[in-house]
Amino acid sequence: MAHKQPVIFQIGWNACINCGACVAVCPKEAGFISDFDTIAVNTPCDIACMVCEDICPVTTITHVRIADPAK
Amino acid sequence: MQTLDYDIIIIGCGPAGSTTARIAAQRGLRVLLVDKRQELGAPIQCSGALSAHALEEADVLPEAEFVLEAVYGFGIYNQAGEQTTIDYRQIKPDKYGAAPDKKPLGYVVDRRRFDRYLVTLAERAGVEVWLKTEGLGYQPLEDGSCEVRLRKFNREINLRTHVLVGADGLQSQVGKWSGLHTHIKMTELASCLQFIVDGVETNGLLEIITGHEWAPGGYAWVFPKGHGYAEVGLGVIRTMTPENAQWHLDHFISNSFLRDRLRNSRILEVQGGGVPLAAPLRTQYAANLILVGDAARHVNPITGGGLHTALTGGLIAGSFLADLISADQQPSAKNLRGYQERWLEQLGNKMWQLYATKRDIFKIKDIPERDQMLYNTMAEYFNPFSVYKKV
Repeated sequence: MAHKQPVIFQIGWNACINCGACVAVCPKEAGFISDFDTIAVNTPCDIACMVCEDICPVTTITHVRIADPAK
Repeated sequence: MQTLDYDIIIIGCGPAGSTTARIAAQRGLRVLLVDKRQELGAPIQCSGALSAHALEEADVLPEAEFVLEAVYGFGIYNQAGEQTTIDYRQIKPDKYGAAPDKKPLGYVVDRRRFDRYLVTLAERAGVEVWLKTEGLGYQPLEDGSCEVRLRKFNREINLRTHVLVGADGLQSQVGKWSGLHTHIKMTELASCLQFIVDGVETNGLLEIITGHEWAPGGYAWVFPKGHGYAEVGLGVIRTMTPENAQWHLDHFISNSFLRDRLRNSRILEVQGGGVPLAAPLRTQYAANLILVGDAARHVNPITGGGLHTALTGGLIAGSFLADLISADQQPSAKNLRGYQERWLEQLGNKMWQLYATKRDIFKIKDIPERDQMLYNTMAEYFNPFSVYKKV
């Protein structure tokens, strides 16, 4: 998988329905989840494939790009 | 075999986990069943439909405690609203119906109460249940056992067991601990949203609405939910549409051929989930570990139904582990492969056939042709004389 600029996900909790689809589709290793059973919101994601954003039935996941620690 | 803290530890108190636990305990194993939630069955990520046959097979009576409404068949619609009705009250009137001497084809259950009821059965069979207990990891040990790390009400606890069972749903972390490839492709995970509504009449049928316009890659549904309520929802494959499930559900309610019937619906609950319309996991075991239920993708790839398959998977897993441990066999990956083989023989091979059917439908690029094929397949699947083996 191509290396992309890491991101940190943000979740609009008001719209989140705790469906878990974002975690189910996420290719990250075990533990990349929040306390509310969504994808992690406080940990950089270096895969940045964004499938979690796409699968969300209410489109409540967004992201901010962060500096790549490898560069 | 050496005595450990428990013979098996199961993570996840859903139908697959609690059934595995109950069967294993009935066969004499010492079982710990844990779940990180405080309320079982919630948040609801499922329509709650299951066949009467599934309950019978799992030796679970259809108690009023969890049954919301009995169902007697199916209404399958194409995009334009043409309908195939498969009402068992008409097809087999001597057997199916609401009269005391007849029976329903299936039920829509309240998942909160159903999951709690199944855990109650497990507890009564001797299973120890810990809620607010989260799995943190597991480590196979040189003596053939494994250590499971748990956190219960903020206290970390290490326990030794023969086999860890991952019944932690589609978002399974247990599978990932062992390096199993559990994450599912975007093209095979339906993004689902449903509303529990008042003001929509139903008639004892599970209504399924196909058509790319309403639910690309999946289908929409209207299910009876008891007490005059209904469940209106749909699942879409996001690679087949630029819009999310919420947009499609609004579009379906406002513009489909059912719009007049749905116009006055009042939303009482919002629920959602990811439903795998996928093949089962190719590998559902590792050293000291097996997966069951949604965690192993024991979900019907045509209908997305996962309750029947969870119960059946639990029956298979519980009895297999009882056989293995009572025979003093090591829970190595090689020996636990037997679980998957038994599951394939009893259920999985049928699911692989259904997956091939589903894949063939969605290979079709022409949308009207694909819609027609999906409608025909759904209508055929629920027909009592169907060529498909129901799972």
